[in-house]
Amino acid sequence: MNIAPKTQSPALSHYYSETKCTWCDGCGNYGIWTAVKYALVELKLHPWQVCLCYDVGCHGNGSDKLEGYRFHGLHGRVIPFAAGAKLANIKVPVIAFAGDGATFSEGVGHFVHGVRSNYPITFVLHNNTNYGLTTGQASSLTPQGQPMNTSPNGIPEHTLPSMDLIFSLNPTFVARGFSGDIKLMTRILKAAIQHRGFAFVEMLQACPTYNHFATHEYLLDRYFDANADGHDPSNLQQARALATQVHDRIACGILYQREDIPHFYDRLIPRRGLETTCVEEVRRYDVSDYWKELL
Amino acid sequence: MPRISLKIVGASGQGINSIGAIVAKGLKRSGYCVFGYREYPSLIKGGHASYQLDVSNERICSTETKVNVLVALNHHGLELNMEDLKQGGIVLHVTPGWQFPEHHRKLIAERSLRIIYFPVDDLLKRLGARAILSNVLLTAFVWSMLDQDIDALKSLVGQTFAKKKALIELNMRCIDEGYSFIDPEQGAISVAMPPPDKGFIGDLLITGSQAMGLGAVHAGVRLYAGYPMTPSSHLLSFIAELENKTHMVVKQAEDEITAAQIVSGAMYMGTRALTATSGVGFDLMSETLSLNAMIENPTVFVLAQRPGPATGLPTWTAQGSLLQAANCSAGEFTRCVISVSNSQDAFELMPVAFNLAEQYQISVIVLTDKQIAEALYTQHPYDLQRAEIDRGRLVVDPEKLKLLKPSDRFNPHALGGVSLRWLPRTEAATYCAQADEHNSMGAVDESSLSTKSQMEKRLRKFHGLKAGLPAPHVSIGGRRVETSDWIDAADEFELLAIGWGSTGDTFRDVMCSDQMRERKVAYLHYTYLWPLRTQELQNLAKRSKRIVLLEQNYQGQLGMLIRMECGLDIADKILKYDGRPFFYDELLSLVMERCASISENEEKSSGVEFVGNPS
Repeated sequence: MNIAPKTQSPALSHYYSETKCTWCDGCGNYGIWTAVKYALVELKLHPWQVCLCYDVGCHGNGSDKLEGYRFHGLHGRVIPFAAGAKLANIKVPVIAFAGDGATFSEGVGHFVHGVRSNYPITFVLHNNTNYGLTTGQASSLTPQGQPMNTSPNGIPEHTLPSMDLIFSLNPTFVARGFSGDIKLMTRILKAAIQHRGFAFVEMLQACPTYNHFATHEYLLDRYFDANADGHDPSNLQQARALATQVHDRIACGILYQREDIPHFYDRLIPRRGLETTCVEEVRRYDVSDYWKELL
Repeated sequence: MPRISLKIVGASGQGINSIGAIVAKGLKRSGYCVFGYREYPSLIKGGHASYQLDVSNERICSTETKVNVLVALNHHGLELNMEDLKQGGIVLHVTPGWQFPEHHRKLIAERSLRIIYFPVDDLLKRLGARAILSNVLLTAFVWSMLDQDIDALKSLVGQTFAKKKALIELNMRCIDEGYSFIDPEQGAISVAMPPPDKGFIGDLLITGSQAMGLGAVHAGVRLYAGYPMTPSSHLLSFIAELENKTHMVVKQAEDEITAAQIVSGAMYMGTRALTATSGVGFDLMSETLSLNAMIENPTVFVLAQRPGPATGLPTWTAQGSLLQAANCSAGEFTRCVISVSNSQDAFELMPVAFNLAEQYQISVIVLTDKQIAEALYTQHPYDLQRAEIDRGRLVVDPEKLKLLKPSDRFNPHALGGVSLRWLPRTEAATYCAQADEHNSMGAVDESSLSTKSQMEKRLRKFHGLKAGLPAPHVSIGGRRVETSDWIDAADEFELLAIGWGSTGDTFRDVMCSDQMRERKVAYLHYTYLWPLRTQELQNLAKRSKRIVLLEQNYQGQLGMLIRMECGLDIADKILKYDGRPFFYDELLSLVMERCASISENEEKSSGVEFVGNPS
């Protein structure tokens, strides 16, 4: 990431929006939304310096509830849009937000290739374990057998092992937060935004209206800060074990992090040594050198 | 216009393209205009493929169905392509002891065909050369048949192997051997070539895809994302081959949706970015088209047509995606559809497309097709001073940026519906590019008033766009005239033909033919297909005895748009939907039939009908 702090530091108030919040009482989005603003301010990023990209879902309804150059797009597609934005202007911190429905169903291909490509963006998964905005259908992360809207007998499919999938893709940053712990989420987000490559951040959040199995209290009882417990994020084996074993206690914090892997843009040989961004390079080009072989 | 045609046939992977390419380049450098056309199946090895060169000392940009010379690299060519020869044509083949069946012997006699067996294996053995050099031997013999200078060929081949000295020597011996070969039965044979025109020597030999790629770079495109799909893949590979020189970001995406989204994100951030696909690939991109309409994000999509539905004919040509381009995707919004026609405007329309996209903050779909994408054109070097980079209402001045309010971004009262645009990371008020219906600053707004005013804002762009688009080109009697001239002239036309895309160049050659040169025929060529201007068409239609629509699709899709826009129903259609482009001689005879029938039915009505307007 390339952050150029201004002499005048931004204040939290710079991110205030006139748009009223419309999430349900007790929705986890309030906490995540707050932590995002804290993280940006603590990194001394002004709203005009950041690009925040939202997928479709309850989290996406937050797109107009803070300042910043924002984008709110189509279901499942936020990762490639955010990647394109970042590749066009490598100097802008780009954060993409999406729910578990978009990430592991409609957009699972984009997610797999996003991790694999190691785009230098932050990806925040709002995991409320169901499709909230379409009124509570099962997502691929909903436990099998859990009755949901459109699946009164529970879904026949087994639950997608999301963390196993992620670790199979050689990620460079994996973290987990909980919407009830603003301080923890802020710490994670700051590290994620400063991470060199694709930073995957899962935020466990309550959905008080449709998720009656992993409630706020359920998560509160089980989550813990693994880093405070001494977990070393460079230990891949331990990170994977902590990430996937969530039945009794749920490990949060920065679970895995590597800063020595070049990101996608670093690997683009034609861009090496260039100071400019693609945005700055738009002009008319003389192409006569390129047609010499056609003469 | 003198025309000589040469067709090389054989299995894919046998070297058809390398012979075709080297003969084409040699002839161009000797002062000939060459037009190359490839037919090949969708597989890598085997199958039956061809590379045809149509050659003239005048501008030529079409293919004939009948050829002067057939070079058959295997016996399938002898079985399948004998009918393709003109009277007095030459068949050059490499199949030892080939016995022509009875009906071919009859054909050979009727058309006075000359058959030459070229003993390529014997020659290779004598030279101690590997089979791969058989193409050099054949090329050299073809070169001698065309009465071309042996040193020109040697210098061309020498350049190809400049870094491999050992290879050069053997190649030169092959050239000497092939060039001096004389068929013991036929004796020395030569194809009468017209005198060359030195004007072509400095031209480029370029495919439509290469032209489009150069045009994109010229237009300031700095990021390209694509997913391979014929006939758009050549653009991706050409841009990728140049990446170390252009320093562009090139991304082969995991699918077409991704490519479209990456490009949209890049355009939102403020660079110029491009993607290309075909048929069903564009179906996948169409949701992103709708997205860009809602967030008013300028974008350019290249839609390279091939016959559908579904996978269809991957390596063949069509104009079947016009209605797809003009109508696909959710919701009502303003878009622009343009079509390239040849290597000239494949280059020139790229900056135009990006300018239109940024001026109106809309998506522009640039149609091409397999014929244009892969045909080989003799192209005058492009004018690199003409194109402008127009970024529309993009605010970059720091003083003006300071004055911006978030509500300026989607201000529904903006002139022509085009509001101010400014880029992320510029120090200014921020906004949300909002795919939900929104208010002027991009906050979600479902109110009746805002919904209505934003819808009207986005659709109001259509009128400005339509009014500003150039008129279709009209050519009369083979000459291009400025549109103002023919409006004043009192001529009545025997025939008015209407077409778009690759049809235009073939029709241009038809109009230059000896048979048509003096006829009062008008050809109206559409480059800007949506929004569709019809005033010029309606004026011409009133003054034409007969109108014919030329399209490479089943329904006559431009005809459908014309009828929708102005009520003109063109009953007479020449439609082709077999994956092949219009061929010169085929189109010439179809047009002449119509001219002849007009002479016979001089008294009859013009055939022009306006729907719901019987007068």
